Amino acid sequence: MEKNVALIALFAALIAALGLIPKITLGFGVPITAQSLGVMLCGTVLGSKRGGLAVLLFLLLVAIGLPLLSGVRGGLGLFVSPSAGFLIGWPFAAFVTGWIVENGPRAPLTIVAGLASVIGCIAVMYAFGIVGLSVTLDKTLIDSTWLVTAFIPGDILKAAIAGMLTAALAKARPASVLSRNGQTKVV
Amino acid sequence: MISLTSPVKTKAHDWPAGLKLASLCAATMVLFFVEQATILAAIFAVVLIIYALPGRRFFKSGMKQLKLLWPFILMVAIWHIWTKEIELGASVILRLLSAVALANLVTMTTRLSDMIDVVRSLTRPLVRLGLKPNILELAIALVIRLTPVLVQKGTLLSEAWRARSQRKAGWRIILPFTVLALDDADQVAEALRARGGFDTIDTLENT
Amino acid sequence: MDCPDINQRPVIGSALSLTNVRYAVDDKDILSDVSIQTTSARVGVVGRNGSGKSTLARLIAGLISPTAGSIKINDHNLAKDRKAALAEIGILFQNPDHQIIFPTVEEEIFFGLRQMGHSKEMARSKTLDTLASFSKTHWAEAHISTLSQGQKHLVCLMSIIAMQPKAIILDEPFTGLDIPTKAQLNGYLARYNGSLIHISHDPNDLIDYDHVLWMEKGKIVRSGDAADVLGAYISKMNELGGLDDISDLTR
Repeated sequence: MEKNVALIALFAALIAALGLIPKITLGFGVPITAQSLGVMLCGTVLGSKRGGLAVLLFLLLVAIGLPLLSGVRGGLGLFVSPSAGFLIGWPFAAFVTGWIVENGPRAPLTIVAGLASVIGCIAVMYAFGIVGLSVTLDKTLIDSTWLVTAFIPGDILKAAIAGMLTAALAKARPASVLSRNGQTKVV
Repeated sequence: MISLTSPVKTKAHDWPAGLKLASLCAATMVLFFVEQATILAAIFAVVLIIYALPGRRFFKSGMKQLKLLWPFILMVAIWHIWTKEIELGASVILRLLSAVALANLVTMTTRLSDMIDVVRSLTRPLVRLGLKPNILELAIALVIRLTPVLVQKGTLLSEAWRARSQRKAGWRIILPFTVLALDDADQVAEALRARGGFDTIDTLENT
Repeated sequence: MDCPDINQRPVIGSALSLTNVRYAVDDKDILSDVSIQTTSARVGVVGRNGSGKSTLARLIAGLISPTAGSIKINDHNLAKDRKAALAEIGILFQNPDHQIIFPTVEEEIFFGLRQMGHSKEMARSKTLDTLASFSKTHWAEAHISTLSQGQKHLVCLMSIIAMQPKAIILDEPFTGLDIPTKAQLNGYLARYNGSLIHISHDPNDLIDYDHVLWMEKGKIVRSGDAADVLGAYISKMNELGGLDDISDLTR
């Protein structure tokens, strides 16, 4: 039990920390915001329930007024802004991503985790995000989708990175990749 | 870690957080039903006046938060100028600004501890479903305590990378970073157990 | 194994030149008025925790830029010229867990060599050479997570020495290790024939050093030969031990 609380708290802190450490580059000098990568890792490493809870805890802290979102942002304003959909989608994204890794095929982790991140994090997150944009900017869903297409390739790249990181982690610390250890119960 | 509560003391700092949040919900809902740009402009003007009341520092701080919306505002402005629907564009922008400004107003005038109290009250019904009463507060405290520690470790790793490279740290650094977080989780769990831990009976485990 | 002692003098000492260096964060001075001119091959920096020694280490390595003043190593500005930095200086940090990036030993050593611009084949061959020179060829595919603390420290050392920098900065290395492990690591370190800039709060680490600097609250309070500076440092530290500045909150 203590282990679960500790893991959930630490991964929430991990997401926060990824928004605060010096910018990370994508190899060819392009800087990325690593925070959404953190959300993907919550799902692929901790699994659906713990991963979802970790992201939810992170959002709770942002909502109560801590500037943990990358760019030193926080507060309730974010939850009525155009980005609100994406934020609200994060815990669901982590959950779905984790679920896919837990219940998906026993294929190489790089591929499973990568695909899980694409389906879970990108598809689910963008679904929520697009609805959020529609509501706050008073646009149709189709128009909102057009607005975000530019960001999708970058996020797909992040999903691939999440896959590689998860696979590397499974080799470095096999016991910690809970999504693959059959430990789906929050025991 | 400093919260976004404003150091400028206002009367609103002492109002019950629950009341402020409920009013915010109501106000936001009203905003989304108003259509005319002129009314929205008037509402926004009132919001700006409220921000100005506690003084210059508070006002500047509030505007700084609103400025973060500029990409969206620009996008909407360009869109609506192009489709020649200026009034609609203005409505969208003003509504957005007012909603975000009001929400941030609550954040700026509510202490972290008061927010946590609201969270505790709102989650009380979940205790009946098995959520341990103090666990959420403990989790919040842990994240607040541990984020700076992880940031420091991440910065050290970033430096160690740059010490052997001509470029800034690449994505690979997230691997040792995650390992550190996992190790910290082990140590925190141990510390929690050493200080009493939780009861063995826990219905959350059975879901 | 033949472990030469640290008194075996290397061929060249790097020219270290700091002039009126100031480093401030958010208007708070961490280092001020720091000037050092030396070509000594064994430089020690001693001082209490929080005296600015680690910041000095990072400034010399070029990881951070001074707020004012200039820092040159063999006439290079390492903060601006990162390519020269990799050839001039290596830095060994305190905690290997906050330093090792890759999961296996060979990947970790390979990384720096690739970053220097070597081809994959060259980097691989230099990695194996380094492991062989430390008699650790059998470590190539070892996972870092299976190594002891002392072994991890050695991996960090090997990763730097593989890049053959002219000088190595040691920022409180080997802290917390037991006596034999520390002695063994120092033995490995002594085989390196470039200059060393060793930062420590413990004067015993610096007894054999040529030029020692004592830092206090971001300034150099004494500079000279080891016996002189360390003697004065030890008396002062003992004196402070009788006081209670641990109570002060703003440090």
